[in-house]
Amino acid sequence: MRKTVRACLSLFRISLAENFQYRTSALSGVVTNLVWCFIEAAAFGVFFKYAVNAGFSGGLTLAQTISYLWVREMLLMLLSYGINDELLTKITNGNVALEMCRPLDLYWHWFSRITAGKVAGFLMRGVICFLIAFLIPGGYGARLPASFSSFLVFLPSVFCAFLLGNAYEMLVTAIRTNTTWGDGPMHMMMLLPKVLSGSVLPLQLLPDFLQLVLLLQPFAGIIDIPARLYIGSMAPSEAWFGMSMQLFWSLTFIILGKWVMSRRLKSIVAQGG
Amino acid sequence: MAQILLDSIDKRFKVYERPDGKWGLIKGAFMRKVRSVQALDGIGFQIGEGELVGYIGPNGAGKSTTVKIMSGILTPDCGICEIGGRVPWKDRVKHVSEIGVVFGQRSQLWWDVPVSDSFSLLKDIYDIPETQYQERLRELTNALNIAEFLKIPARQLSLGQRMRCEIIAALLHRPKILFLDEPTIGLDAVSKLALRAFLKEENKRSGVTVLLTTHDMDDIEALCSRVMVIGRGRLLYDGALCGLKERYAAKDRQNIDEIIAAMYEDMAL
Repeated sequence: MRKTVRACLSLFRISLAENFQYRTSALSGVVTNLVWCFIEAAAFGVFFKYAVNAGFSGGLTLAQTISYLWVREMLLMLLSYGINDELLTKITNGNVALEMCRPLDLYWHWFSRITAGKVAGFLMRGVICFLIAFLIPGGYGARLPASFSSFLVFLPSVFCAFLLGNAYEMLVTAIRTNTTWGDGPMHMMMLLPKVLSGSVLPLQLLPDFLQLVLLLQPFAGIIDIPARLYIGSMAPSEAWFGMSMQLFWSLTFIILGKWVMSRRLKSIVAQGG
Repeated sequence: MAQILLDSIDKRFKVYERPDGKWGLIKGAFMRKVRSVQALDGIGFQIGEGELVGYIGPNGAGKSTTVKIMSGILTPDCGICEIGGRVPWKDRVKHVSEIGVVFGQRSQLWWDVPVSDSFSLLKDIYDIPETQYQERLRELTNALNIAEFLKIPARQLSLGQRMRCEIIAALLHRPKILFLDEPTIGLDAVSKLALRAFLKEENKRSGVTVLLTTHDMDDIEALCSRVMVIGRGRLLYDGALCGLKERYAAKDRQNIDEIIAAMYEDMAL
């Protein structure tokens, strides 16, 4: 166990080093995120103006929504359209064979790699973009958290979001670990959390009768729950609930992922050469 | 007792085929023809500790499949395989900590980071104590003469340099068995000779068992006292290389490649 942890930490370090080499791409990523999120914030400004004039009131204020958008932009690294590129390449060209020649549990081996890729992206793209966003004027930029205690519960919740996002991606990876398959099912599975995590629209702006389901479904924990804690639409006193949801779903995905992976490895076909 | 023991191993693969004819492309989208191909058909052999064995056969004969089964990557359909008293695919993690594998067409080095980083990662993966690791690394880098490019990322190495690093990566944890799947593919004469000399020396000094698949008959001639020939999933010959030569050499066939070609022809491969 101790040995596995040390090996995984070492893997994490080397993958992080590898990811930090892509500096230019990180820079252009930051610019994209800033521009895109600013446009969205402006659009929400227009929507809210007309909604308030017409007498509607949603689950969030405009200020909370804009703050939510920037937190989402910071955590966006947790969602992608496919699984980790490097692992996908290994699966399709059969190099997965070499990974299996290592005295390591392949699940945790890959889990640490995925995590490293995401942490690198989060630090180099997400956090930098978030910090720059504080400079944007006119109420369209990032804002401080609702309160200091909101901030304190936000941090562990981000940690849980990483756990959850990676556990889900590992489940998809395990399902994709079939060298003779195409990518279709994988893209479909990765699209689900894009919508249900609140990255398209804050979940609290969706119709009232859906709210309970939206909060209990697994993907709220990837972006929505940490963002709610940050903007204060979930009180710090309720943080235990949000985080237990995150941990519960993480555990479920880990158990499922490990099970699928062990079945897949028995029937894997490493092609060629 | 033999270190490596295989007995009547079978492995079949599924192959998907497109139906023939004018509408084959469209028909194939709805129904596929599945055919089963017998990659291994009752393979069995034994290898003792410290042996240096060549494993040859034409393309698609089942060489790599056998190596993959022995390294715990593939599960055979039936048959017995015991290596060091363990069944590779059942006890995968324990098994692979005692073997080293080099696939000539694949790389186990991290592409974008210096080779030395890959090595130190392997140190943690195989749980090698620091002093032993340093000593072993020095020994190997000196023998293969790669000390000067340890700090260069793997992607910037030439094929010959990279292959030497691959061999080191496979030997750092002092495996008892080394599987080499076409290690000399694409190498120039100097690199090939250096690699052969090193393998011979390493086998003699540390007693590592080596199983080598290759298409380069000079590899076999230089290294292996014993050679196994596989064709269509069956073991066709197991013995000394000179035995093969005696049987198939003729006046007009002195070149080892020609001898092997004659043998493949004779066995109707």
